[in-house]
Amino acid sequence: MSWEPTLAHYLILSAAIFSIGMIGVMVRRNAIILFMSIELMLNAVNLTFIAFSRYRIDMDGHIFAFFVMAVAAAEAAVALAIVLHVFRHKRSVNVDEMQQLQY
Amino acid sequence: MGFWEPLFFWMFALGALITSLTVIVVRNPLYSALALIVDFFFFAGLYVLLSAHFLAIVQVLVYGGAIMVLFLFIIMLLNLRDEELGENRFQLHFVAAIASGLAIFFFAGASILAVVSDEGVEQGRQEYARQMEQVEEGEKVALLTGSQIPGLAADLNETGLEAAYQAQLTAWEAGLGNPAQGKYNRFDNSVPFELPPALSAEAREGQVTPGRQGLYGTFKPISIALVNRFVVPFELTAILLLAAIIGAMIIAKRRVA
Repeated sequence: MSWEPTLAHYLILSAAIFSIGMIGVMVRRNAIILFMSIELMLNAVNLTFIAFSRYRIDMDGHIFAFFVMAVAAAEAAVALAIVLHVFRHKRSVNVDEMQQLQY
Repeated sequence: MGFWEPLFFWMFALGALITSLTVIVVRNPLYSALALIVDFFFFAGLYVLLSAHFLAIVQVLVYGGAIMVLFLFIIMLLNLRDEELGENRFQLHFVAAIASGLAIFFFAGASILAVVSDEGVEQGRQEYARQMEQVEEGEKVALLTGSQIPGLAADLNETGLEAAYQAQLTAWEAGLGNPAQGKYNRFDNSVPFELPPALSAEAREGQVTPGRQGLYGTFKPISIALVNRFVVPFELTAILLLAAIIGAMIIAKRRVA
């Protein structure tokens, strides 16, 4: 690995942040932090799209990253509404206590 | 490439890693959200280094602004007390989660390093420099796609990137080539889909000036693509956002009348 950033640097950084987000989703029980970890993973994927876009000198990856951002915004809005609703019923945002969703 | 760009890359990369770890390590969701905001700013910096200027701005506006305000608003609204946060005790599944996270990271890292070697990068730089010389001599090079370059073209400076991007667009608009190996084959290859089809090939060639499609990474090429090739997903996104607005309202309402 060189000091100057190349495609590999960006991909490995993105893989690291994706892994951090994945560990967050698996380890944390707080629903809000869980969604923040998902945002982290989406951002890592966006970084990969943009790095490859730069590598290929075209802009299709930018457009895909743009769509990912739109989907992330929609997902955050609905997810937080669900968290709010669950909190009103159970006074908790712990995902381990949201077991009535399975019935 | 100079001295500053690598320095900024390492600063942003380290910052992004540290703030990402902070997001999942701290106990209070408020501190998580604040760390995530800083993280999004580091990401925006990385996007600027990759010449994705428009996306860097959108990152700050949409993620740093809209989404994180939503998160902070919910955190403040719920106003979780200490006992509701739950204790963060060590559990066996932590080990499994962290081990699988590390496994994914090393698997991804090893496969990236196996594909992109230092020699490949060096070879790619030389190949790229050769192609750029040809462009400067006025030759119509068929293509400067990065996919033909084994290393990475990401170390181009801004001028080199712009020249390569404009050369591709020019070759493509003049019907000389297929810049991205069949990517634009959906319609007639000789008629660029993003130009008015009524123009003849000659008229089009006369019109082509550098910068006509906009500079790399800026608003213009993205908007041209969004209302042409990507118009269906673009409109579907509008429907998705409408559905999300209505869904969020109905779910969060206390009682649906």
